[in-house]
Amino acid sequence: MARVWVFFLVLLTAIGFGVATAREPSFPTLTGRIVDEAQLVNADARSQIERKLVAFEMKTGRQLVVVTLNSLQGYEIEDYGYQLGRSWGIGQKESNNGALLIVAPNEHRVRIEVGYGLESTLTDAISRLIIENSILPRFRTGDFVGGIERGVDDVIQVLTGDAADFQRRASEQQPPEPEDALQFVWIFVILGFWLFIALKSQRRDARRRPVPWIIPLPGGRPSGRWSTGSRGRGGFSGGGGSFGGGGASGRW
Amino acid sequence: MNWIAKRHAAGRANATAALIAVALFLAGCGINTIPTLEEQAKGSWSEVQSQYQRRADLIPNLVSTVKGYAQQERDVLNEVTQARAKATQIQVNADQLTDPDALRRFQEAQAQLSGALGRLIAISENYPDLKSNQNFLALQSQLEGTENRIAVARRDYISAVQNYNTEVRTFPGRLWAMVYNAEPMATFATPEENQRPPSVTF
Repeated sequence: MARVWVFFLVLLTAIGFGVATAREPSFPTLTGRIVDEAQLVNADARSQIERKLVAFEMKTGRQLVVVTLNSLQGYEIEDYGYQLGRSWGIGQKESNNGALLIVAPNEHRVRIEVGYGLESTLTDAISRLIIENSILPRFRTGDFVGGIERGVDDVIQVLTGDAADFQRRASEQQPPEPEDALQFVWIFVILGFWLFIALKSQRRDARRRPVPWIIPLPGGRPSGRWSTGSRGRGGFSGGGGSFGGGGASGRW
Repeated sequence: MNWIAKRHAAGRANATAALIAVALFLAGCGINTIPTLEEQAKGSWSEVQSQYQRRADLIPNLVSTVKGYAQQERDVLNEVTQARAKATQIQVNADQLTDPDALRRFQEAQAQLSGALGRLIAISENYPDLKSNQNFLALQSQLEGTENRIAVARRDYISAVQNYNTEVRTFPGRLWAMVYNAEPMATFATPEENQRPPSVTF
């Protein structure tokens, strides 16, 4: 009998792994607002761009990350991009207000990947225009730093410049629901309830068995990280934003 | 008299506790898993449908723009219009997802529209004026973006259905599936490569 159970366990675990590892590219580590795997950006330009990205997030709460890749691992840049954005969780979780500028110099591909929440502002058509007009002409002459700088400037301009957009941004920035705090409240409520019942019933009737101490955790998705997109260098992380394939790509 | 009442109260408290214990125990051992996964799969499906709808919404504008420059391409333009009409007729609501035939019909109609759109984009290459028209460029990038969103939504749906079906078909979800009368859901059959957006070079 025990063997049968072990067999079942192994089988279930195998199925679990099979599902979990099905077809996913590997991603570089999110080390900052510029992840320069392909080493296209020199130190000066890097700190300059980084300052802009920090200021942008301070001002709007939105996150923009620049990433250069050595390889797309055989994926289309569209395939790779949204999965990278989801894996890093760029943008705040509640408003999905992140964007990525992805450069793959070896495949000659560039993409602006736009989070769900920004699709209506940084539309596909605008992303395409930025790529065609600001980025590609510079990339074609080998000026990667210039292309990235202009691309970042344009994206930031689109995402901050529009005055009519202010209201939408304001509603976007409402504080996220205190999901984690709520879970703890629940745990305490349930704990307290059990304690109350257990003590009461034990006092009233000592012969009865005490109430079993099952303490369930409230269900729901694990909410990823505690911090919502930290500010400043060093501690940068995504806020859990998600992506659905918005944006545009180009090649040179 | 007094102790009877007390005893009664204690019994009621214990009964309540037992009831809560049973409810929590059931929650712990997966009574919620199947409904949760089912809702996720249905949610992903509605995303698939809304992205296809979004594509359909772009088409009338695209067709009229192309007409302005390439009137003689009547065949392709008609083909697109008809394929769109057919594709928008076939809707699959969330309760039909366990029916593979319904999904296949949906898929076929949309694939036909994809093919017609691909041809429309291809012929537009022959008209330099059209290609440089700002409106056309905007529509085209929207179309590409929508095709890409469709691909993402389809993949999300496929993986949501995979999770749901695995739960329904394996132990212990299988037992709950009998309780709920839950059937496996259908998923997309055509290889993804056929669904790639038509790529256009400038």
